[in-house]
Amino acid sequence: MCIIPRYVAINDGARMSSETIMIHAGLAERPRRSRWPARLDLLQSISGLLLVLFMFGHMFFVSSILFGETAMWTITKLFEGYFFFGKSYPWLVSCIVGAVALLFVMHAMLAMRKFPINFRQWRTIRAHAKVMRHEDSTLWVWQAYTGFLLFFLASAHLYQMFFWPHEIGPYASADRVWSDGLWPFYIAALLAVELHGGIGLYRLAIKWGWPNAPRAALRKVKWALTGFFLVLGLLSLGAYMKIGHAHRDHVGERYTPAWAAEQDAQREGRQ
Amino acid sequence: MSAADNTTAPPSQASRRLVFNILRYNPNDPASVPHMQAFTVEEADSMTLFIALNDIREHQDPSLQFDFVCRAGICGSCAMMVNGRPRLACRTLTRDLPAEITLAPLPFFELIGDLSVNTGKWMRAMSERLETWLHAKESEIDLCRIEARMDPDVAEQIYEMDRCVECGCCVAACGTAQMRKDFVGAVGLGKIARFRLDTRDARTDDDYYELIGDDTGVFGCMSLLACHDVCPKSLPLQTQIAFLRRKMAAQGLQGLPVVGRRLTSSTC
Amino acid sequence: MKTVMTDVLVIGGGLAGLRIAIAAKKRGHEAIVLSLVPPKRSHSSAAQGGMQASLGNVAKGAGDNEDVHFEDTVRGSDWGADQIVARMFVNTAPKAVRELSAWGTPWSRVRGGNHEAIINEQKVTLTERMEAHGLIAQRDFGGTKKWRTCYAADGTGHAMLYTTSNQAVGSGVDVHERTEALALIHDGERCYGAVVRDLITGELSAYLAKATAIAAGGAGRLYSATTSAIICEGMGHGLALETGVAPLGNMEAVQFHPTGIVPTGILVTEGCRGDGGLLRDVDGERFMPHYEPEKKELASRDVVSRRMTEHIRSGKGVPSRFGQHLWLDITLLGRHHIEHNLREVKEICEYFLGIDPAEKWIPVRPTQHYTMGGVRTDHTGQSPWLKGLFAAGEAACWDLHGFNRLGGNSVAETVVAGMIVGEFIADFCDKAENAAPFPVTLAREFVRREEAKLAGILDGGGSASAFKIYAEMQEAMTKHVGIFRQGDDLLAGVECLQRLLAQSAQIGASSKSRAANPELVTAYRVRRMLKVALATAQGAYLRTESRGAHFREDFPQRNDKDWLKRTLSFWPDEAADLPRFEYEPLDVMKMELPPGWRGYGAKNYIDHPDTPRRQEEVDGLRKQMESQGRFAVQEALMPFADKLPASLTGRNERLDEPLEDAQ
Repeated sequence: MCIIPRYVAINDGARMSSETIMIHAGLAERPRRSRWPARLDLLQSISGLLLVLFMFGHMFFVSSILFGETAMWTITKLFEGYFFFGKSYPWLVSCIVGAVALLFVMHAMLAMRKFPINFRQWRTIRAHAKVMRHEDSTLWVWQAYTGFLLFFLASAHLYQMFFWPHEIGPYASADRVWSDGLWPFYIAALLAVELHGGIGLYRLAIKWGWPNAPRAALRKVKWALTGFFLVLGLLSLGAYMKIGHAHRDHVGERYTPAWAAEQDAQREGRQ
Repeated sequence: MSAADNTTAPPSQASRRLVFNILRYNPNDPASVPHMQAFTVEEADSMTLFIALNDIREHQDPSLQFDFVCRAGICGSCAMMVNGRPRLACRTLTRDLPAEITLAPLPFFELIGDLSVNTGKWMRAMSERLETWLHAKESEIDLCRIEARMDPDVAEQIYEMDRCVECGCCVAACGTAQMRKDFVGAVGLGKIARFRLDTRDARTDDDYYELIGDDTGVFGCMSLLACHDVCPKSLPLQTQIAFLRRKMAAQGLQGLPVVGRRLTSSTC
Repeated sequence: MKTVMTDVLVIGGGLAGLRIAIAAKKRGHEAIVLSLVPPKRSHSSAAQGGMQASLGNVAKGAGDNEDVHFEDTVRGSDWGADQIVARMFVNTAPKAVRELSAWGTPWSRVRGGNHEAIINEQKVTLTERMEAHGLIAQRDFGGTKKWRTCYAADGTGHAMLYTTSNQAVGSGVDVHERTEALALIHDGERCYGAVVRDLITGELSAYLAKATAIAAGGAGRLYSATTSAIICEGMGHGLALETGVAPLGNMEAVQFHPTGIVPTGILVTEGCRGDGGLLRDVDGERFMPHYEPEKKELASRDVVSRRMTEHIRSGKGVPSRFGQHLWLDITLLGRHHIEHNLREVKEICEYFLGIDPAEKWIPVRPTQHYTMGGVRTDHTGQSPWLKGLFAAGEAACWDLHGFNRLGGNSVAETVVAGMIVGEFIADFCDKAENAAPFPVTLAREFVRREEAKLAGILDGGGSASAFKIYAEMQEAMTKHVGIFRQGDDLLAGVECLQRLLAQSAQIGASSKSRAANPELVTAYRVRRMLKVALATAQGAYLRTESRGAHFREDFPQRNDKDWLKRTLSFWPDEAADLPRFEYEPLDVMKMELPPGWRGYGAKNYIDHPDTPRRQEEVDGLRKQMESQGRFAVQEALMPFADKLPASLTGRNERLDEPLEDAQ
C-alpha cells in the first residue's frame, strides 16, 4: 500500500496571503496592529447615525397621514418619482429600501460584536445591570434587547417594503395595518426602533464626545426625541388604523386624488 | 464663620442596629460554598465601613477577609460592592447608608476570599501590557542639570489623570469588562490618556494605537460610563476616553487615501 | 521547602524599596521586592504635601541651596542627625526630584509673573521670575528657612510612588505582592535573606539573597491614634530586632504631626499651614504666634505639636465627644487654591468630616505620625552588626532625622536613600567575596522555626486574644509614650507592655486556616510589635533629657553633655522581656554645625563640653575661607563627597548657580 506523505495533503500555499498565515498562527497583532478595529468602530457609529437619521425622516414621511390621505399619497408618489417623470416607478423605493437594508445588515453585524454571546455573558450583564442600578448601563441592556428584536422586526419590514414597494399608500398601508392585522407588529417595531435609535444617538454623543454637553442634558434631549417620535408614531399608526377600519370593505382599492386620476386618464388617452 | 457650629458630625442619635449581609467564600478551602452571612453591629459615631468590618472581625468572626491599607481614601485597597455599587469602603460612612448593608467583593478580579480581591495582580498585568511608564525621549539625563520645563497647566492636567488609585471600581462597574475579561478597562485607558498628555513621553498616537487600538482597548468601550460615575477620584473618564477614541479612530483611517492623511495630520 | 534565590531581596514595596530595586536592576543585579500589598498601595502614597529639595526655583526659595537645607535638617533633628548623612542627603535630593521629573512625576510648576499668596494672614503678591516659568515649584513647610518643598498638588507621595512603581514595572523589577517576611535568615554575622509567607496561600518559603534590604516603613500602628496606614506595624524594625544582632536606633524618637483630623487620625498635610493656614483655639483665636513669634504655625512639627498640647492643657481646647481638639483654618486660602493645591485635603474633609474646608474649620490634634527610629545603619545603609543587611526609608535609622524629622524630608529620604543605598547594595553585590554560597541548611532551620511558631498559635491551645493584646498595646503606647513624657508614667507603660508580651505567648487562634487568615497574621505580628514598642518605651524612659520629639517633663532640657548620643536597642535573648541598650556618641568635633539653639522652641539646653571649642573652630574656618566660596568652606568643615556613590557627587545646577561649563 502506498502511503501518501502528509505534506502532499497540504493546501496550495500560494493561495494564502502572508497576513492570513500570521493571523492563523495567532500573530496577527505582532507586526503592526490592524487598523480595522478602528474602522469597524467608526462604521458601526456611522451606520447607526445614518439609520437614526433615516428613521427620523421616515417617521415624518409616515406621519404625513396625519395631514390626510392626499398628503401621504403625495409623499409616496414623490419617492416613486411621479412628480419628476410624470409616472410612478416603485422600484425607486426598492432602491432606497435596499440601501437602508444594506446599512441595517452592516450595522447589525457590527453591533453584534458587542452582544453577550453566550448564556454566561448574558446572565452576567443582566445581573450587573440589576445590581448596579446604573441608568446608562440599564439603557444599554435595553439597547441590546431592542437591537435583538429589530433583527426580526426591521428585517421583516424591509423585506416587505423591498418586494412590495407599490403597496405603500394611504389605503394600501392602512389595509396592511388593519385588515392584514399587522398593527401589533408596527407597535412593537415602533417601540423597539425608537428606544434603540434614541439610546443609540445619545450613546454616539457620549462615545465621541460631541456635542460635549453634560450627560444629564444629553439624556434629556434623548428622552425628548424618543418621546416625540413615539407619540408621532403612535398617532400615525392610529390614523392608519382608523383609515384601515373605514376602508375594511374595500381592501385592495388604491387611493388616488381626483386630479391625479384625471391627469392619468388624460395621459392614457393621449397614448 | 464660627467655630461653634463647626461640629465634627451630626449630634448622636439613638444608635441604629446595622445588619451587614456579607458574601462569604474562601476559594482556598475546598469545603467552602459561597453564601451570604448576616452580622449585626451597633452603629457608632462617625462609623465607617472600615471600623464596622474590623469590629465584626474582632468580635464576631476572625476569619472574615477584607483589605484596608491607608483607611483614608488614598490608597485604593478597599474597593468593594456596597449595596450594589463599587466604592472605597474606608471612606464610606455608615450614616450615609440604610440600616441593611450588603457587601460583596468586586466582580471581575480574582477572589482571594470574602471581600478581598487581587486587584494588584491585574493592575500589574495591565501596566505591563499597556506599558504604563514614561517612555523618555532621552535615554540618559544629567541629574545635575536644571530639570526640563513643563507648562504648568499641562502638569496640572497630567496630575488630574495621575490621581487614579487603581482601586478597580471602574472595572467592576464596567459592562464591557463583565463580558470580556481581556478588556483594559477605564483604568487602562485613563493611563494611556495620562501618558498621551505628557510632553515628556516619546510615544505617538501610532504607538498608542498598538496598545489600545482594538476591542480589548478603546474600541471595546461601549460608553456606559459607570466607570465615570463610580470613580472615587472623580477622574474625567468620560471626556478622556471619548478623546482617545477620536484619536485612535483617526489612526484607523491611516492607509485610506486622502481622508486618513488629512484627519491624522490635523491637531485637535 | 520552596527556595527562591536572587541577588537583592527588598522587604517593602514603597518608595525606598522600589527605588533600591530599580538601582540594583540597573546595575545588572536581580531584585525581588516583597510587599504586603500591591506596591502602589504602600504608605508612601499617603505623603501629601511634598518633598524637600533645594532647587530654589520660586521667588521665596531664592538663595536656597544645600547649605540651607542642611542646616534646617540638622536644627530640625535637634542635633540628633548624622551630619555626614544629612550632607549626602541634601546633595542628592535635587537629583532625586529631577530624576523623578524625568521619569514622569507631574510636579507642580512655577508660573512666571505675579500670583497671590497668604503669608501670616496677609494677602501678598509674589512675583515669579519668567526664567523660572515651567520649572518645578516649591511651597513653604515647617522648620525651613526657604520655600523648598516640591509638590504635585497635595498628592505628592502618590504621584512619586506611581512614577517609581511604573518605572519598576518598566525595568522588570519582580514584585511578590501579598507576601510577608517572617524572619531574617542569618548566622549572627551575615544576613542571607528571609523566611517569607505567602499571605494568600499561607505557604512558607526561603528567599535567599546576597543583600537583603529592609524598607518596610514605620511603626505608627504601635499607637491607637496615628496617621499611619494599618500596614505600618514596624515589622521591618521587628525583623532586625529579632535577629538579636542588629540593633534599632533612637526608637524613642516618635513624631507627632500637628494636624491629624479628629477622631480618625487621618492626616491633613503640613502644606495647609505652609500655604497660609492657621491654627485656632476654642475662642477662634490664633495662638501659635504667642508661643513661637518667629516661625508661628511653621515651627518644626515637634514644637507645634507640643505647643498645641500645651494650649489644650491651658483650657483652650475645643471639647468634643472624641476629646479635646483645636481648629485648622484654611478658609482664608480661598476655594480656588483648595480645589487645585489641596484636593486630597478637601476630599478627606468631605468624606470623613462631612465639611467643606473652604467654608469651615477642620478639627485637628497632634497625632502619631513618624518613626524617626529604625534599623541602625552606616552611611551606606548597611547594618554594621549584620553584614548583607541594609535598610532605608522610615524603617531605617540612617540617621537623617535625629530626634525630629522636618516635613517634606521623609518622602525625600525614601527616594534619596533608595538611590544611594541602592548603589551601595549594587557595589556590595558586585564584590566577589559577597557571592556567598547560599546556606540552604540554615534556611531550612529558619523556615522550620517559623513553621513551629505558626503551629504554636494555631494548634497550641492558647486562649489569649491577639486582637485584644494588640488594642491594649496601642492604648498603652498612646497613654504612656506620647508627646509629653514622664519617668513614672513611662515606667508604667513599660510594665504594661511587658505584661502584654508575657500574655502574647498564650495567644491562640479560633480560625485555624493556614492560608489567608487575618487572625493568624495579627497573632504573629503583635508579639514582634510588642518588642518594638518596648524598645520605644524603655528607650524613652532611659533618655533623661528632652530632644526633638522626645520631651520629658521631668527633664525638659536638651542635655548635650550627657545625651548627645544615639540609642541602640538589641534583643539578643528571645526569652527576655526588655531589650539591651547601648549608646553611640555623636562627635561634636566632627560636626559642620555644632549644637546650638534651633531658632524655634524653648531655648533651654546644656552644652556639650566640646561645643564651644568646635564652634570656635568652625567660626574661624568660615571667616578664613569666606572668599573661597561655600563649597570650599563646606569641604573644609566636614568633607563628605567620598562617602557618596561616584554617580551622585556632582554639584546641582540652579538658576542662580549655573554649573561651570568646564565640569
